[in-house]
Amino acid sequence: MFHVLIISLPYLLKGAAITVWLSLATISLGTLLGFALGTVGAVGPRPVRAAVAVYVFVLRGVPILVVMFLGYYVFPALGYKVDAYVAVGAAMVVYVGAFVSEIVRGAILAVPSSQIAAARSLGMRRWPMLREVVLPQAFRLATPPLLNTALTTVKQTSYVSVVGAWELSYAAREVVERTLAAFEIFLGVMVLYFIICYPLSLAARHLERRYAFAS
Amino acid sequence: MIAVSDLRKAFGPLTVLDGVSFAVAAGETVVVLGPSGSGKSTMLRCMNFLEPYDAGEIRIAGELVGYREDGDGRRVPRSEAEIARFRERVGMVFQSFNLFPHRSAVENVMMGPVHVRGIERKAARAIAETLLAKVGLAEKMAEYPARLSGGQQQRVAIARALAMEPKVMLFDEVTSALDPELVGEVLLVMRRLAQDGMTMIVVTHEIAFARDVADRIIFMDKGAIVEEGAPRELLLNPRAERLQAFLHRFSGGVAES
Repeated sequence: MFHVLIISLPYLLKGAAITVWLSLATISLGTLLGFALGTVGAVGPRPVRAAVAVYVFVLRGVPILVVMFLGYYVFPALGYKVDAYVAVGAAMVVYVGAFVSEIVRGAILAVPSSQIAAARSLGMRRWPMLREVVLPQAFRLATPPLLNTALTTVKQTSYVSVVGAWELSYAAREVVERTLAAFEIFLGVMVLYFIICYPLSLAARHLERRYAFAS
Repeated sequence: MIAVSDLRKAFGPLTVLDGVSFAVAAGETVVVLGPSGSGKSTMLRCMNFLEPYDAGEIRIAGELVGYREDGDGRRVPRSEAEIARFRERVGMVFQSFNLFPHRSAVENVMMGPVHVRGIERKAARAIAETLLAKVGLAEKMAEYPARLSGGQQQRVAIARALAMEPKVMLFDEVTSALDPELVGEVLLVMRRLAQDGMTMIVVTHEIAFARDVADRIIFMDKGAIVEEGAPRELLLNPRAERLQAFLHRFSGGVAES
């Protein structure tokens, strides 16, 4: 019964490699963007905070499919020719950035004000206080929701086929069209997605432990 | 060393400090007593500008706290960096310890020396170890706050403040969150500090500590100083009715013992 899955596996694995690559790129760039935006969104000057709030507010209210289409069509509209992966990847980074930024901002604001009072009473300046006192504690608070976002992002890469970018779920649909073995193939794809996501869960658990301290 | 005159502060319609004036000489230990809500803690937080004040002035070592006077005698808020520089010389210890939970005891004490005074880590560690030994925690240097008792945490917090070599130490109800059997070890450290000549303002409910260690006691109620004087005098012969009532509530007169 699973013969068809075995012979299709090399093709699916090629798709899985693209999925992994796209996930790593969008998660890391989106997280970087989100950390920067979340930090200035929490402690930056008022106009910057407002700008970040608008950015988050808008993107949270839009489905990622729409953002991907926008990303795909914005470059031609501006007169640039861009690879489909780059266009859709950029859209995902912008989308992930919004979610991460909100997580990071919330985590920074959740650090108790008594910690800031203690740092201030020592005479700590803004940046050392942020770096040594606030961010390490915020990072611990942010780890579980950040992992959640990373996992969601891996799964959202399966939407990029709407603009013709090829990856694991696109490959799966192709194989199903040729073999008509939909159940077997999608069962295999499910396992592949799980294998991709599992190390992320492990990494997060490791991080949580490393930054653990009773509070 | 410290001069407070006509200090006023309100949170919206609520007046918290209603014209407080007093002075503290170098090396003096002043204990501030008063019922909760009397403005003691707010006053203390104004003294290192964790809270801004509305009117009046606080001067520490001659420097006006939080504001700068321009030519016309009007005052302008100081920049964040200037206020930080000022706070380096005013240590504060909090009711809830406020240790940094992601740093060990010794690293908590090193925070000021390394990240404010710019001392090299090795030298800062030596300073921190000396101070922790002084507060009786030589064995607990590497422990994280969560693994220390309240009394131990508060002693780390005192060491952390002392590591900045402050000219003045402010204590904000530092034993109120402690189990009764842990109060003594913290008060002992404070008593030694007072004997060593540190200038201290201590907001507390520990009447016995006030009696034994204070050079002077200030009794506050409703945002104002009601009575001020030498400990024995003030505790044995309280003149103000409110102070009499306040002392009466504390275990039927520790003061007479």
